[in-house]
Amino acid sequence: MRSRRNENAVKSFSPGGDGFGLSRREVLTGSIGAGALLALPDLGMGGRLGGRSSKSGRAALQYAFLYGTPDPGPASSGSLVATVYPVSRAGSRAISRAVSPRTSVPVAIKLAAAPVSSPDQAVTALATVDMVHDGARITLTLLDATSAAVAQQGSVTVTGVPQDANVLVTPVFAPGSTIVSMVLAITMPAGKRLVRKADPRTGRLASRSATTWTSHHALAYFDQRDGAITGPFHLSGEPSLALSTAAANSSDLLIWTTREPQPDDPAEIRAQASLSRLTVFPLGSGTARLSVLAPAPWPGGEPHVMLRSGDMARLVRGRDVQVCSARTGEVTELGIPAFTHGRAKPSAITMQARPDGTVFMTKPGAGMAVIADPADSFRTTAHIQFPPPAAPLGAPWSKAVLSPAGDTCYVLGPAATGGLCAYDAGSGKLVGSYSEGRQYAGLYQLPSGTLLAVRPENPRLAFFSSGLSPLGTADTNLYVSAVF
Amino acid sequence: MTGYDTATPIHDTYAAAQREFGVDPSFWIRYFTPSPAADLFNDDALAESRGAWDSGGPYVGCISAPRQSRLSGSAAEGQADAQAFAAAMLTAYHAVRPLVLPSNSRLYCWLDQEYSTSLSTSYWNAWANYIADYNFAGLGIYPLYPCLYCNPYSPFPNCSTIAKARGVNVPSAIWSSEPEPCEGAANPPRWHPEECATVPTRLWQYGEQGACSYSSNVDLDLSGPGFVTANYCFHVQSRP
Repeated sequence: MRSRRNENAVKSFSPGGDGFGLSRREVLTGSIGAGALLALPDLGMGGRLGGRSSKSGRAALQYAFLYGTPDPGPASSGSLVATVYPVSRAGSRAISRAVSPRTSVPVAIKLAAAPVSSPDQAVTALATVDMVHDGARITLTLLDATSAAVAQQGSVTVTGVPQDANVLVTPVFAPGSTIVSMVLAITMPAGKRLVRKADPRTGRLASRSATTWTSHHALAYFDQRDGAITGPFHLSGEPSLALSTAAANSSDLLIWTTREPQPDDPAEIRAQASLSRLTVFPLGSGTARLSVLAPAPWPGGEPHVMLRSGDMARLVRGRDVQVCSARTGEVTELGIPAFTHGRAKPSAITMQARPDGTVFMTKPGAGMAVIADPADSFRTTAHIQFPPPAAPLGAPWSKAVLSPAGDTCYVLGPAATGGLCAYDAGSGKLVGSYSEGRQYAGLYQLPSGTLLAVRPENPRLAFFSSGLSPLGTADTNLYVSAVF
Repeated sequence: MTGYDTATPIHDTYAAAQREFGVDPSFWIRYFTPSPAADLFNDDALAESRGAWDSGGPYVGCISAPRQSRLSGSAAEGQADAQAFAAAMLTAYHAVRPLVLPSNSRLYCWLDQEYSTSLSTSYWNAWANYIADYNFAGLGIYPLYPCLYCNPYSPFPNCSTIAKARGVNVPSAIWSSEPEPCEGAANPPRWHPEECATVPTRLWQYGEQGACSYSSNVDLDLSGPGFVTANYCFHVQSRP
């Protein structure tokens, strides 16, 4: 199936252009989702541009994408938002003056799921779902980070999907390949029945109609070379839980899925109910070349990366790494010593592949970040310990980042003081800190090297140099859940 | 009526908690799929149930802590998370013969919303509706009730989101994470949790391990006046 451009649902933006004139219909929108996406110029690159804009042009600019729900107003769906920054602050005036103020632009509302960035951060993929007369139309949009514009877009309609179905779309980039896979979890009503259920407040039994649901998965592939979409390929294994974990290397798509346990499962099936299944598809194909049982835990939001070897690693239970062979499906579990000590409360956890082949993992609730070497059984090569931040589990989950050179680890400051701290990744020693008493909830490093810290109230966005000097702040009427 | 919640297995946790606080818990609350950063009850329900029995608190409540950015998301995400949660509870129920539903047929199912997380109405309504409509084990009694763990006074949408819910999507209870007076288990504080305007707080996490410097891997929870949390948990009827 060829992709087609959805003229009614797309808007290309110019860098620095203001978004205030856009109508709700002009931003990318789907009918089912809830999140909103906002493009924000990378302050550091904007600053460089400000000094030499006529020479460097647009190419040097890079946007960050803010994902979240709008404030004020109903959090059920996004509304247009735009912010202008930086706001000069005492003590940072000199730096702020050097920065060319730029405007963030609204990109999308009602997303079907959070966006996904390409491994090189050059492209961000987002998916929207529209229910149409003959099914569900899935639209994949690739946003260019240098312009916040739509680089490519394609749609495919999954026929036979009723209006009240839910479709969860997970885009998956494949390093070294032009193919972007889409894992679709399609959940449809399987039946309705009249039930009697006690009201929790009064205890009285009341009759109502209850719906039962059944999920299955399908695959579709978007080829960035020609914009063509292949699929959808409906997978066997129904009923299956909608949650899955997927990753791709240059040749294969790996998917972890779980069969939905049924009340009438025979004993031998129940005994395997806790097992997931790993299935490997050649990119572009709906026919699996490998399908094996896989160990717990079930897939469901755990961080995962594709390793240089082409194998997949996922960080499970906040303490162990499971390395899955793309060739055989064999899974090897390895403990991360710094993460083994349990706590009463879970912590946010992150896992990122680095250009040198190592992996950076964080567990801020335990005050731990490590660099590990997958080529050496995930041996820890650097270990940074820090006081846990105030909100170690809440969104955004990124609370510690590693500098591109790998020599400095930036983390949210301790619960008592807030702010930010910097640690030497080699020695683990504290090398810098900044606090004006504010507690931040998330921390990101933009491609320019600028640090972006997110806080609950406006100004929600605070920018810092790699030396932890404040660069400026910005308001946004998004409650920011993640930055891409 | 003090109980514990923990992200670590009960059988690895209860002895240290008993040494530290000197009393048996009235109940446990444990993490189920999808809680990607926790040890999961459903991964080894048998050992966990034995631990609950041996701890003297043979009641297990159920919470799910999905990746928190998902709570800002779509109905599809909320439904998928609820589906996995319900399946995980069913798997545990099937795996442990003496693990039974509460005698009142009301199993409270908690969604973990942390302080800095915003909860969208699309996510909540789909999550709550799936839980409420789940025909657990084909019993036809629909015993699952959606409930919300949150920090009611957080600036992020939580109470305002559930205030818009209708019918079975209205949570049955709030489990409040604030304030934290950090008393022990034997001498819990006077009842004064933070509240949402439209849904009563029934459970109060008055002591978190990190904030209160408890050495054992538990947070401390208190049931509200006239509310017995154990009556809304799985019951381990005998030692499995």
